[in-house]
Amino acid sequence: MADKMELNEVEVWDGNYAASQALRQAQVDVVAAYPITPSTPIVENYGAYVANGYVDGEYVMAESEHGAMSACVGAAAAGGRVATATSSQGFMLMLEVLYQASGMRLPIVLTVVNRAVASPLNVRGDHGDMYAGRDSGWVQIDAFNAQEAYDLTLCAFKIGEDLDVRLPVMVHQDGFVTSHTAQNVYPLSDEEAYAFVGDYKPVDEMLDFSRPVTYGAQTEEDWHYEHKAKQHKALMESYKVIDKVFEEFEKKTGRKYNRLEQYMMEDAEVAIVALGTTVETAIYAAEQLRKDEGIKAGVVAPRSFRPFPYNEIREALANVKSVAVLDRSCPMGAMGALYNEICGAMASTPANPLVTNYIYGLGGRDFAVEDAKNIFREQKANADAGYITTELQQFSGLRGPKLAFYEAKRS
Amino acid sequence: MAITSIKNLKEFSTTNERFEGAHLLCPGCAHSMIVRELLNCTDDNLVLATNTGCLEVSTAVYPYTSWDTSWIHIGFENAASAVTGAEAMYKARKRKGTLKDPDAPVKFVAFGGDGSTFDIGFQWISGAVERGHDFTYICLDNENYANTGGQRSSATPIGAHTSTAQAGRVSYGKKQKKKDIVGIFAAHGAPYVAQLSPNKWKIMAKGFQKALETEGPCFINTVSACTTEWKFDPKDTIHVTDLATDSLMFPIYEIINGTKLNILYRPKNIIPVEEYLAAQGRYKHLFKPENRHVIEQIQKEIDEKWEYLQRREEASV
Amino acid sequence: MKGVLATEKRGIRELGAEEMVGWDEVTQGVVLHSFDTEVENVAHIRPEERPYSDFNSYTATVASWRVIKPVYNRDVCIDCQNCWVWCPDTSIISRDKQMLGIDYDHCKGCGVCVEVCPTNPKSLLMFAEAEDNEEALAKWPEKKKKEK
Ligand code: SF4
Ligand code: SF4
Repeated sequence: MADKMELNEVEVWDGNYAASQALRQAQVDVVAAYPITPSTPIVENYGAYVANGYVDGEYVMAESEHGAMSACVGAAAAGGRVATATSSQGFMLMLEVLYQASGMRLPIVLTVVNRAVASPLNVRGDHGDMYAGRDSGWVQIDAFNAQEAYDLTLCAFKIGEDLDVRLPVMVHQDGFVTSHTAQNVYPLSDEEAYAFVGDYKPVDEMLDFSRPVTYGAQTEEDWHYEHKAKQHKALMESYKVIDKVFEEFEKKTGRKYNRLEQYMMEDAEVAIVALGTTVETAIYAAEQLRKDEGIKAGVVAPRSFRPFPYNEIREALANVKSVAVLDRSCPMGAMGALYNEICGAMASTPANPLVTNYIYGLGGRDFAVEDAKNIFREQKANADAGYITTELQQFSGLRGPKLAFYEAKRS
Repeated sequence: MAITSIKNLKEFSTTNERFEGAHLLCPGCAHSMIVRELLNCTDDNLVLATNTGCLEVSTAVYPYTSWDTSWIHIGFENAASAVTGAEAMYKARKRKGTLKDPDAPVKFVAFGGDGSTFDIGFQWISGAVERGHDFTYICLDNENYANTGGQRSSATPIGAHTSTAQAGRVSYGKKQKKKDIVGIFAAHGAPYVAQLSPNKWKIMAKGFQKALETEGPCFINTVSACTTEWKFDPKDTIHVTDLATDSLMFPIYEIINGTKLNILYRPKNIIPVEEYLAAQGRYKHLFKPENRHVIEQIQKEIDEKWEYLQRREEASV
Repeated sequence: MKGVLATEKRGIRELGAEEMVGWDEVTQGVVLHSFDTEVENVAHIRPEERPYSDFNSYTATVASWRVIKPVYNRDVCIDCQNCWVWCPDTSIISRDKQMLGIDYDHCKGCGVCVEVCPTNPKSLLMFAEAEDNEEALAKWPEKKKKEK
């Protein structure tokens, strides 16, 4: 039996440490991983737990991220709890296997410390890796700080392993800003945490020799479509379980999570939609603008990036006049992905707010409170004018001449 | 461990098959001879993984499986990772007491073709062997990417015609040598590494059993004659394989712990490699006068390799 | 042969003739179970006693692949099991060290079994698929003198 770890009521942890503690407390059976900045400390910390008797499971240091995720798939098909961590290039190397994990309906938990994707090489945070995974069939949950990285990693096991879901789950946190910034974190005790996550329930396990099972069969044009559709439905409907798990977690800890987080949206006239640590920056900017400039600003943040909270977005933005959607990944030849989701959600409502897109923070470029304020002010100008006064897509915080695309066609 | 008797073929034939018919491998394919023999030489439970390739696309096409054992396919390159992930899970669950039948003996085996072993999956196998998992990797070496229509791999021998290393007016086919995959995995320090061939069924079965019994990572390269891409009549699979082993194009040997080599089969009459080459369409062009030198080169390399293997065996290294 | 070749599920359908169910009925995670019910250790259960599921290719047939077929002559056979060990399609049926015959649902007609059969005359020979087995047996060749 693994030793218990005595934790204080409040610990000072960074996002990486918080995630590794959650993996330890969930008593993962197999962690197969490969180190990469900035998520390396997750597997290093876990390695220290292994070395000191705090872990009963197996710890497999693979020869690459592709090998790590492949071992995770084999391990998960063998009927136990599996988790790993990665970032950026490692995520890209895993990408092939991410699709295979979800296609086989294996509830692996992947803690992703978001980082830019090369070229050019960059180790800092942006959402390029998170976006690359958006069609991979995983539940994608976003943590905005270390406490959330801990809480949501525990929730991830419970969501993915639920018999109505059986899908892999990513828990995202921003590289460095969350992963390497120590904050106060209120952990559960080992017993409470494990009791919350619960025992793993094997489904179609390869180690049940009384029911030999084949994983990874080929399907061509006569079967592939049906399987993909079935998988999509499972992901679409996983919101029910996500809500249920968040509710249970609130009961246990008092900390409430929602698939769509909303801040000051009750009377908001303008809003920012964003992910990650930017959410806290935007909240701070909104508070100041309300106080100093009388702008009724609010913030909307999808906690669950997949499944995407369309209905909640529609309600949250129903009375907003102008919305800025912030994408921290270079869309390369299109509008940002988050922007497109928001427009998709709002296009079918009578509200029809003015929606523009801001690209920002690539490769760890700082996004300051003042940047957020400027974006709010532009929304205010749109709201007052009743039309979009800027281009549809603008680059925020970029050196050089202003870079922007697409004129608005309604005024 | 419980193991099937391979004393003679009659006894061996009493095993209950766990690889079923109506798979989609070509008539006369040696892959299934090898796979059947592996499955038949033990009655332990098996967890199998297979890389993408002929074996995989022929044995698990929805809604059919030809496997009566647990089996997984992920991608072209990662069967070794899949099976060692499962092996890690087995150890963890055994320790924690969550296995349904904790006492059931189980063996972990991965299959891959030469493309996925010598080329695209090479790193994954190397990593799995280095980590020391208790598993056996079996390469079904038919010396080309047969599943996609016969392209060259790094297992394709010099002089062979493939669709991406063609014999033509100014080319005699593949120009590069085949990788010494057995030597490479022996150099990993794996406890058991061998090259085996289905025509020598008993040597192969013994080798398989040894690999399954050996704790730690084992690697076996098996000769898998491919009627479609080597271009011979399906009925001749065993005949062509006989020529392969008796010409020493495929010497049969094992290396223990990377440091002790044993030759497992010495042909009574070593035949010239020409006979082996002449039996297959993929070498047809070598018999043109301008390409004869390639046959000579192949023969020379075979002789040198055989000499080398014998010297190692004699010196017990 | 009775009870071995005549098991209920062998070759019940042509590959590709399975029922095309909708997305709501395909298996979760594309998994395929080999058997309908729990089995103890398959290696200890004879094929004719196994609860094969419809997903098991054992229940399918590839007989249509054949243009020529092997015919088995029990009278000459010495039960050496060469054909059994080298048949690539699990189509030589042997029980209790005896060769019983050919599984025509799974045999693809490669001819390997004939090549490796050591008897004189051979105990397995290839005939046209349409040929009646009894007629084939009636034309079985005599023992050949060793050429040398
Ligand atoms: S012809 Fe081929 S498939 Fe048929 S029984 Fe003989 S060896 Fe097997
Ligand atoms: S190879 Fe020939 S003699 Fe041997 S068992 Fe088969 S049919 Fe009989």
